[in-house]
Amino acid sequence: MLQQFYAVLTFFGFGIFFAIIALVLAKIFGPTNPTAAKITTYECGLDTQGPTWVQFKISYFLYALVFLIFDVETLFLYPWAVMFQKLGLFAFIEMIIFIAILVIGLWYAWKEGALEWL
Amino acid sequence: MITIYHYLLLGAVLFSIGLYGAVSKKNAIAVLMGIELMLNSVNINLVAFNRFLTPDAVTGFIFTIFVIVVAAAEVAVALALVVKVYRERLTSNVDEIDWLKW
Amino acid sequence: MAEYYLLGVEIATALLGLILLVMGLLVPKTHNKGIANIAIIGFIAIFGVNFLYAGTNASFLNGMYLIDPFSLFFKGLLLIAVFFTCLISKDYILEQGYGQGEYYSLVTFATLGMMIMVSAGDLITFYLGLELNTIAFVILVAFRKNCAKSTEAGIKYVLLSAMSSAVLLYGLSLVYGATKSVLLTEIAKIINQQGIQPLLLIGMIFTLAGFGFKVSAVPFHMWSPDVYEGAPTPITGFMSVASKAAAFAIFVRFFMIALAPVQETWVIVITALTVLTLVLGNLVAIPQTNIKRMLAYSSVGQAGFILLGMVAFSKLGVAAIMFHSLLYVFANMGAFGVATVVGKSIGSDQIKDYQGLWKRSPLMAAVMLICLLSLAGIPPLAGFVSKFYLFTAVIEQGHIWLAFIAIGMSMVSVYYYLIVAKAMYLGQPEEGAEPIKVPGSVQLALALCLIVLVFFGVYPTPFTNLVLDVATAFFPF
Repeated sequence: MLQQFYAVLTFFGFGIFFAIIALVLAKIFGPTNPTAAKITTYECGLDTQGPTWVQFKISYFLYALVFLIFDVETLFLYPWAVMFQKLGLFAFIEMIIFIAILVIGLWYAWKEGALEWL
Repeated sequence: MITIYHYLLLGAVLFSIGLYGAVSKKNAIAVLMGIELMLNSVNINLVAFNRFLTPDAVTGFIFTIFVIVVAAAEVAVALALVVKVYRERLTSNVDEIDWLKW
Repeated sequence: MAEYYLLGVEIATALLGLILLVMGLLVPKTHNKGIANIAIIGFIAIFGVNFLYAGTNASFLNGMYLIDPFSLFFKGLLLIAVFFTCLISKDYILEQGYGQGEYYSLVTFATLGMMIMVSAGDLITFYLGLELNTIAFVILVAFRKNCAKSTEAGIKYVLLSAMSSAVLLYGLSLVYGATKSVLLTEIAKIINQQGIQPLLLIGMIFTLAGFGFKVSAVPFHMWSPDVYEGAPTPITGFMSVASKAAAFAIFVRFFMIALAPVQETWVIVITALTVLTLVLGNLVAIPQTNIKRMLAYSSVGQAGFILLGMVAFSKLGVAAIMFHSLLYVFANMGAFGVATVVGKSIGSDQIKDYQGLWKRSPLMAAVMLICLLSLAGIPPLAGFVSKFYLFTAVIEQGHIWLAFIAIGMSMVSVYYYLIVAKAMYLGQPEEGAEPIKVPGSVQLALALCLIVLVFFGVYPTPFTNLVLDVATAFFPF
């Protein structure tokens, strides 16, 4: 059982090894002449303007909530899809009903404006 | 050799961390994260029991699927309420939500 | 092919919920006053359907779902409770002016969740029903959009109930691990064979904590006063009766069927819970000044009385739990019906605002008095009969000291109920206070509560025979 994890361990070891090698080589061979501009925090080329903790649009959040629900509900589809051949027509109808209920939920979200992007 | 005890131990540790987080954190979002940890420890337990004790049945796996889905629904409702409280009082700190006597 | 006709009640409820939701979407906001009526008529129809199954004793999907007299009784109870809730909510929600469709469909889905809970034959079904009703209740508790207290109650409820259900689930997962099964009857069989193990014991304690939260037993009751105060008043009433009754139903099933072989072990813990709940619930109710908080603590105390039936672990005990839960529906819905109308017209839930209520509305004062006296267990009202059975059940099993504590706390409860009665009948209304107009639907609900409480107090025999019959399923000897 544990032997199966040797591959993972080896992979891990090599990963760390190469990271260290790369850094050490850069330290040894790279020229070092720090200037004020070079040691400032680098973020996409420019200094930030104003506070970075800004408020997101709330509609983004509603999107996320609706997405979360529908994303997770698909979990029920996987076991059904795997066993679809065996389960036959009846399970198919059951799944249609399940999806229909979900669609009513989506319709509700739509109608109440949760999907509007203003 | 990884045995069922390792999984159960992992579940118990995760549950304890989650419970600690849920009762000690002040931010409602962090409390929710603690609760999610607790639910995931339950999932680990269920899957481990199923895998090691009754490898032929799938009861534990089915239970896990239901736990995951229900947890998502619960979190969605909770997050929506957190946003609403934040809009009303500009805080998501559970200590400051005290208009009703706790 | 499974026998789907057994699920008639649940399918009808689910359909009703979806229809109400769709109607809320389709009908223009100016013309949606009828949705409440459709909900009320729908629930009466489903109640009739429930009667068609009388006497059925079957299981669905290899015992995952049980349609037996016990679950049918509790489904009837839930339908009565939701019927009263709709009657009381009608004008309340109309005045709110939004969310007709959402409100009634959420109430319906909460009922569906509780129905699934009371008929659950295995742990997965039980968990699913529990969460369906909890999530629906969370949204209902936070339903008052422009009231920050309501949102606060909602967030407290969702955080605490999620935490408690995580604890409950951990317990259930350990029970599953210890017995390799999620079916209640299978669990009992396996425990019978292998006796009690440490894993099962820990699982049991975690489970008990989760159940304690749902029935708001001390020390897991902290949520209930806050949530009860913040929620819309009809929902408070619905939660206090229906959610509690459903939780007790599965409580009874889980502990008296699945864990019956280890009764000596859990009865100790439950006895401790019972004493704590009785004493704290009733004593803390005394200093409350808000009627909803007072009723919340009184409902904690009532949970203590119902727990007596669990401690008794006998046929009479189960029967008394069922009897008390049903009468509690009428008494509490009556009290909350009055609280809804008074709260709406006066704009406050303080007990001191009930001063001289009998002059402003004799009907409401009378109903409130009868309901509170029934809750306190004063003869000849129905509450006396059910409490009498609970006490008898405990004494029969030899726990006389427990019965003494319960009777003492029953006296205490008379005191705080009478504080409200005193304000209503001896206090003078403020100068120029006008009579309160009671909406027709609420009048109907109040009158029904009044009749039932008096009738079953005077003539409980047919009903006690029914519950004893049903309880035979648990103790067939």
